[in-house]
Amino acid sequence: MALNRLETFIEPGALRSPAPPARLRGGIAGLTAIALLSAAACSSVSQVRLKLPLKPRLPLRGNEKIVLAPFLIVTEADKARDKRLQNVDLQGEFHRFLKRQIEKKTKLEVVEAPADLKLPTQSLAELGRATEFWRALGASTGGEILVSGSLEFRVEDRSGYKTEEYVSPINGQTYYRQVYVEQSGFLFDIVFLVFDGRSGERLLQDEFKDFRQTGASSRADELQGLFENLFSLENQILNLFVAREREADRYLFTS
Amino acid sequence: MRHRQTVAVVVAAVSLSMASHCASSGGPATQISFGSDVARQGLWREAAFRFERAIAAEPKNARAHNNLAVALEATGDFARALDEYKKALELAPSDNYIRRNYARFAEFYTSYTRTTGKAAGGP
Repeated sequence: MALNRLETFIEPGALRSPAPPARLRGGIAGLTAIALLSAAACSSVSQVRLKLPLKPRLPLRGNEKIVLAPFLIVTEADKARDKRLQNVDLQGEFHRFLKRQIEKKTKLEVVEAPADLKLPTQSLAELGRATEFWRALGASTGGEILVSGSLEFRVEDRSGYKTEEYVSPINGQTYYRQVYVEQSGFLFDIVFLVFDGRSGERLLQDEFKDFRQTGASSRADELQGLFENLFSLENQILNLFVAREREADRYLFTS
Repeated sequence: MRHRQTVAVVVAAVSLSMASHCASSGGPATQISFGSDVARQGLWREAAFRFERAIAAEPKNARAHNNLAVALEATGDFARALDEYKKALELAPSDNYIRRNYARFAEFYTSYTRTTGKAAGGP
């Protein structure tokens, strides 16, 4: 209120100092530009890539005998519905992949499990508690580390309507609209159970998940999808047994 | 004439201010510049040494603390890296680069300590 009243008594522009002449304005603008440029130069930043170590999840010597026992297959029910999954021998493909990776990238000695080995239960929770079964398997094979768990591989359709923001080019206002987004792909979910071959005790339980989008219309091959999933999880899987590296970007000030 | 004098005074003042800034930050700025150069060549221990020198000369230099944190991270000294990131963030809480570095490091460090069950890289 007081300010309003004051304004009415002061002539507009009376409080402003007279405008500096053009040359002075040019000089000030130049100096401002120099100051801004030097400030920008002072805070220059570059991005660097670090290789960060990932310690193995299991405290191993590194040369243990490892037994790859069968995994529970969670997608059996889906298999009957989706003909594409019928062509995939998930157990066989995963066993072969895991064996090859362990032999190639670790110093662990892979010991074959008996061909007729049957898991004592179809429940993952019970499998984790089947100490006697694992101790017996360790004794019969000489395996110090026993690996099992569950595998789930399915074609997942995540298509649906999603709300997105939309700015009208006519009036500049923001609206929300529903758009149909097609998203289908292969989902791979592994739960690892690792047991001590001597005591049968569970040493570790961990889960890895990966979703690979196949695109809106393309009909990708299911085996190709499976291996894309597996290769993307390779580092995490191997990190259970051996040290791995992970790349990470960081910002570094250069001045 | 009067305006020309004003321009001269302003130019002199800005030049003096910039010169004094360069002189005062010359030590830390040079160390940071050199440190970041060697860091990009992968010489992280030398870089860490340079950033430590910059901090010794100017303890409240957030950029030096950030860079030291990155260098410590690169050499696997994660516990100290965490301290340095925190200091950098305390000194410059609104710096987006430091905030992003800290967030990414925190994500890594959480999983790393969860994996090993201890603050590895620490004493």
